[in-house]
Amino acid sequence: MTAPTLICSKNQENGLNIKKMKNSDSIGFKLLDQFRDGRNDKIWWRVFALLMIATVATRFYKLDQPDHVCWDEAHFGKYANFYINRTFFFDVHPPLGKMLIGLFGYLDGYNGSFHFDKPGDKFEEHQYMGMRIGCAVMGALLVPLSFLTVWEMTFSLPAATFGGLLILLDHGMLTLNRFILLDPPMLFFISAAIYSMVKFHNQRHRPFSLPWWSWLSSIGVMLSCSVAVKFVGIFVVIFVGCRTIADLWEILGDLSRPVSYTVKHFMARAICLIAMPTLLYMGIFYIHLAVLSNSGPGDGFYSSAFQVGLKGNYLHDGSTPRQVAYGALLTLKNAVTSGAYLHSHDHLYPEEIGGSQQQITTYAHKDDNNNWHVKRHNKLAPSWNSTRPIDFVRNGDLLRLEHFATGRNLHAHRSLAPITIKQFQVTGYGLDGVGDNNDIWRLEIEDGEEGQILETMLHRFRLIHYNLGCALTCTKKKLPAWGFEQDEVTCNPNRRDPNAIWNIEENIYPRLPNVSFRAYEKNFFQRFIESHVVLINGNSALKPKEGEATSKPWMWPINLRGQFFSGGQLQVYLLGNPIIWWGNLVFMVFYLILWVSVGVRTKRRITVTQREIMLQERALSACGWLWLGWLLHYLPFWGMSRVLYFHHYFPALLFSSMMSGILLDYVIESIPLSLPKNSFNASYAAILSATLLILFYRQVFFHWIFYLFSPLVYGLVRYADTNSTMHHLHWLSTWEF
Amino acid sequence: MGDTEVKNRKVNRNKNKNEKNKEIPNPAVDPRDEGDGESTPEALPEELTEEPILKKSASPKKSEKKQRKAGSATAGQSLADLPTLAVTCHFNLLPMLLFGVALATRFYALDQPNSIVFDELHYGRYAGLYQKQTFFFDSHPPLGKQLLALAGYLGGFQGDFKFDKIGSSYNASVPVFAMRAVPALTGSLLIPLVYMIMLQLNYSQWTAALAGFLFLFDNALLTQSHYMLMEPIILFFAMSGVLCVLKFRALERSGNAQAHSYSLRWWGWLLSGSIFLTCALCVKYVGVYSYLLGLALVGHDFWEKVLGNLSLTKKQVFGHAVARFFAFFVVPLMVYIGVFYIHLTTLVNAGPHDSAMSSAFQASLEGGLSSIVRGQPLEVVHGSQVTLRHAHGSPCWLHSHAANYPVKYADKRGSSHQQQVTCYVAKDINNWWIVKRPNRTDLAVAAPLDRISHGEEIQLVHGITGRNLNSHNVAAPASPTKQEVSCYVDHNVSMPAQDVWRVEITNREEIGDVWHALESMVRLIHVNTSVALAFSGRMLPDWGHNQHEIVGDVMINQPNTIFNVEEHRYTRNEDEKDRQLELMTTDFIPLEPVVMGFWEKFFELQIRMLFISNENVQNHMYTSSPWEWLVLTRGIAYWVSPDSNAQIHLLGNIFIWYSATIALAAYCSLLVFYLLRQRRQCFDIHEEAWNQFRTTGEVLLLGYVFHFLPYFFVDHTLFLHHYLPALAFKLLLNAALVEHLYYLTRLVFAKQFFNWMCVLIVLTWMSGILMVFNKFLPLCYGLGPMNATQILDLKLRETWDFIVHKP
Repeated sequence: MTAPTLICSKNQENGLNIKKMKNSDSIGFKLLDQFRDGRNDKIWWRVFALLMIATVATRFYKLDQPDHVCWDEAHFGKYANFYINRTFFFDVHPPLGKMLIGLFGYLDGYNGSFHFDKPGDKFEEHQYMGMRIGCAVMGALLVPLSFLTVWEMTFSLPAATFGGLLILLDHGMLTLNRFILLDPPMLFFISAAIYSMVKFHNQRHRPFSLPWWSWLSSIGVMLSCSVAVKFVGIFVVIFVGCRTIADLWEILGDLSRPVSYTVKHFMARAICLIAMPTLLYMGIFYIHLAVLSNSGPGDGFYSSAFQVGLKGNYLHDGSTPRQVAYGALLTLKNAVTSGAYLHSHDHLYPEEIGGSQQQITTYAHKDDNNNWHVKRHNKLAPSWNSTRPIDFVRNGDLLRLEHFATGRNLHAHRSLAPITIKQFQVTGYGLDGVGDNNDIWRLEIEDGEEGQILETMLHRFRLIHYNLGCALTCTKKKLPAWGFEQDEVTCNPNRRDPNAIWNIEENIYPRLPNVSFRAYEKNFFQRFIESHVVLINGNSALKPKEGEATSKPWMWPINLRGQFFSGGQLQVYLLGNPIIWWGNLVFMVFYLILWVSVGVRTKRRITVTQREIMLQERALSACGWLWLGWLLHYLPFWGMSRVLYFHHYFPALLFSSMMSGILLDYVIESIPLSLPKNSFNASYAAILSATLLILFYRQVFFHWIFYLFSPLVYGLVRYADTNSTMHHLHWLSTWEF
Repeated sequence: MGDTEVKNRKVNRNKNKNEKNKEIPNPAVDPRDEGDGESTPEALPEELTEEPILKKSASPKKSEKKQRKAGSATAGQSLADLPTLAVTCHFNLLPMLLFGVALATRFYALDQPNSIVFDELHYGRYAGLYQKQTFFFDSHPPLGKQLLALAGYLGGFQGDFKFDKIGSSYNASVPVFAMRAVPALTGSLLIPLVYMIMLQLNYSQWTAALAGFLFLFDNALLTQSHYMLMEPIILFFAMSGVLCVLKFRALERSGNAQAHSYSLRWWGWLLSGSIFLTCALCVKYVGVYSYLLGLALVGHDFWEKVLGNLSLTKKQVFGHAVARFFAFFVVPLMVYIGVFYIHLTTLVNAGPHDSAMSSAFQASLEGGLSSIVRGQPLEVVHGSQVTLRHAHGSPCWLHSHAANYPVKYADKRGSSHQQQVTCYVAKDINNWWIVKRPNRTDLAVAAPLDRISHGEEIQLVHGITGRNLNSHNVAAPASPTKQEVSCYVDHNVSMPAQDVWRVEITNREEIGDVWHALESMVRLIHVNTSVALAFSGRMLPDWGHNQHEIVGDVMINQPNTIFNVEEHRYTRNEDEKDRQLELMTTDFIPLEPVVMGFWEKFFELQIRMLFISNENVQNHMYTSSPWEWLVLTRGIAYWVSPDSNAQIHLLGNIFIWYSATIALAAYCSLLVFYLLRQRRQCFDIHEEAWNQFRTTGEVLLLGYVFHFLPYFFVDHTLFLHHYLPALAFKLLLNAALVEHLYYLTRLVFAKQFFNWMCVLIVLTWMSGILMVFNKFLPLCYGLGPMNATQILDLKLRETWDFIVHKP
């Protein structure tokens, strides 16, 4: 047995010795037999090792190229900076992926000094390789994990090899996993979760043993990590959930055991798959919030009380009275994600908009024009040195707000708002605080009791116009130049609009003792919950703009259009290996046909040979789960209204590639079975050579295709003329490289 | 008697387990014996050996009741032992009575209020457009509107009324009663329909009547049936379809299924089922969920009863498969196409929504684009004067005007300060461009015609200003990542003209290589920089008169880069002044109209309906989310009287809605409980009861899930009335659960007393429903006058926003 022969028959990476193979049929048959059987440890390990070598070779080749920022590296590199500099930022994804990237950079000695301004910026002397290597390692692990997953599902070495190879040889996977992106960690955690799941499933005959417990906990850890990288990790959680329910159903059906046994199993899963991951997930957020302790660009997305906890934020060291009393000078902040301050200035609405009264807007920056004087609707505000008892602002009160700098009252009337014409206009009206009935607003504290005193920061409230019954709202639409592009404020008849909620941020009133803002600081749980509210709002706000060309889910599986990672001199284009992608589709249809035909056959009680049944069961049960996984990771995107990208398909691709591996093995194993058997030896040889040929041609084919498209991954020197080799590869007119 | 009977069955069932189904009273396959083929254990588990908790129950008076179906013996039995209820003559009167009350409630004051209520604005307008045979575009299929239009036609509607806004009064020309009669009638028919569905599911006539009662006294269903709205129509079709499918199933599942196969009844139920379900789909696309439910039921039966029936030969199985395929795929397709055939052949005149369609489509309509483009030359040549329309998505035309890009934009970027090029949504003389060969200077068209073909290079001269369409490496005004497109002005800043474009005809496979007006879809590729002329979807600020931005985009293969020539004529004058005058004044000489076949129109309409949705009402005040439907958080204001607070507000009968939600939860919990128990081989209820319970789940629960779940995944604005189809299934489930609970009471408690208690509770519940119904009745009919207190009195939940605009 020589090593070269082995390479040839097993690995399909290097097909140099095919002739030698054919000459030494007997050895080849024997090896092939062992390969098919897969129980020989030695062969198994050799195949595995070769796969690993190929993985390392493809994943790390020219990893430092292109040496400029590619595509979303501009975002995630920046986030890594924020972690290294410990400044607070906002992103629509949970933190783990970015923390890991930050960690890779930190371990490599990167100091967070590169700005990652825009794609195409040269890294120059900055230490970016740590982050690239970290991501590439996580991405590279997908190959062995898929190999092992398929192995654990089928215990067929050829199937496992095919599964691994399909992941290995896909350009899309390769490209996506070489850059500083969230996808490598996310894909890694997803496939690790699946691997743990099948591994755990295979421990079912020795429940509550040490490996059983450890694989179970491993599922939990990987699940919470995948959710903590991106919310799409939820799909793998559902997938594992389905599998768990199926397992428990099996256990419950075992009548030789008491029900309490099932309950025990259930409890073990509840602890390891629900309780522990939740804690871990919160732990990750705890680290996230603890590391990012300095004020930064993300502050504005969060509530005032949240910002108090950030070092360097002006709220961090301030102090203010806790309760709001009439006569106080207030700033009102729109209490939604990245809400701004209620603002007015000495400019009027233009004549044609109507009213010609003073503009009311919201303004994101601190400014003296954000200050409002609060007074009862029927009384003047008490002066600050009055000695009468302090009159607090209470829930349900009727009040007026007077703009401090201009002396106009906050006013609304029955005319159309400047942009949102279905709502009423809000203006500043009156002179030195004297206005009319339309200046009266009723205070409604959210979930407040009647007569409760309004408190700074802690209370969220609505201001309802007394005459019109509408609520003061910031529509978040920009006013044109006459309004200095500040945001429009209206009075909204729909009082349930979430944008109609405000809170008091600054409260100046000398007669009440000041309390440090720190007293309002949110505890971890409140911050945790608020982070999620902001994340979810941020995600749903990512709507495609009208007319913008976005990627649609139906385009993904057919590999219709890729995504530019890098332009300029060295072009990188994310595109799947068309043979693999289209092959996956064919195999998915094949699975459905197989499933139906086996179903019909069982229903009609048509008998087949034992071996066929064995093969079918192996393929069907494993592929059924993978099909479900694919569906769970693909279908939900159809219902999403946010912006979608091509790379969202890759988790689903993991499943479909593994499935193709298994079905490929099934096809190769079962085609020979249907051939006529004249004599045992002849047919056996025929089967083997057929298998071999298919194997070999596939390998060559893959190899060739892989080679052809590889410049897409490693960077394509932009061609000026149409004679470039890549030009002939535009198999679909929509590929834009 | 009950006691022994139950015990015997217990024994029987145990025997069955061991002796392979010899003594099963019902020939239907026991669901618990099949399933996933798990091995049956040798020893029965502990749970089974326990004494069942069944006690003695009153003997059923079977003889007094005329049983319609043999299979429903036990099911009917559970309610049959109430002596007072066993009067046979009630049987047929019940649905008649219910139907009578339904007609009375639905038709009461049908023409009041005599003004536009909510979506009558749309549906009434569409019905009017049908009278005028005017084309309109709506993202829903047309059947419902056709029915309204038909009723209007019979009522003498001429289509002259202008549906301008909700609340404006109808005049005498609108047959309000006739048009509202369509939903009112279908809404009334719903009640006997659900009665029959419940009977078909083996429930007693009292339960069936209860289901009818729930439908009858739900305020939301009443409100919806009282005005020109689609939901009652769609519900009627869906429920009829479900009933037919159930009848068909009953034939399939009856003892001699073979004998019934291909009989007239068999075909009748099968075909009418599929036709009704398709009709539901033709009213609104959400009807597809009902269709899928029908398909699932028929498919499931095929799998179990036909495929699993080994006595049938391969040929027979195949024949059954073909018959079902025909009924559920071929027939629906024919119905669907038929409905659109009527739609497209009726609406032949140009109308308000033409611009949503392609130029060719518009040109085929009478009096629309066809009057303008009729007789214009087909082939685009050197010297052609054209308007270029953005072919996909929102319509607009390539436009320029005598104004330059500002020197600096608001974000401090600079521009070329050349003449603006935009996409303008209105027809305008500044939309005219002249096609020109780069190497020729004359513009007048003379024989021989110099035709432009795919791949050739041209320049585009703006008709009024005479400047050339140009692009260069300057960032576009609103999309900085794309390239600016301008009309070239030489500012002497060493910025040469780059004004040559290559014509690419994307549909040259069908149209041919020569550029044709209307039909050819062209891309203009900038020769110097290889970008395509594209519509970016962004709007320019004030300096660009809020017109749409036109850019040069490197992404060539996208719909936004495709344009087509809409209006077209040949240049006759060489002099620029005359040419401008000509552009402003000339008319066309009509020659022959564009003819577009039904199929072309059909497919184009389908595609537009798929991709253009005009129902996205952003920030509507009365939107609600699917979760809120479960607890009726929000209604919809339909109409308010101008003189008082009398108003119509869509709101369910809160008592019914809450109990139905609770019933749903209870049904699901019971289902899970039974399944878990059966997994442990414990059978708590009789086999018949279980079969009934299971079938209920298959039809009603599945129907509910089909009609409810998808709403969590759609991104257009949702309203309460979207929930009504799901609600229908939920109400049926509620009635079914009442009977099942009654059965359970009998099973657990021996005393007659508890049965009476049960009936009493149900009666109390029903009278509660009646009270709530009555309380909210004014909101259904818009009865008035009402003052503010009366309205606020109805506001049981803080989140219900009734309109109070008068004291």
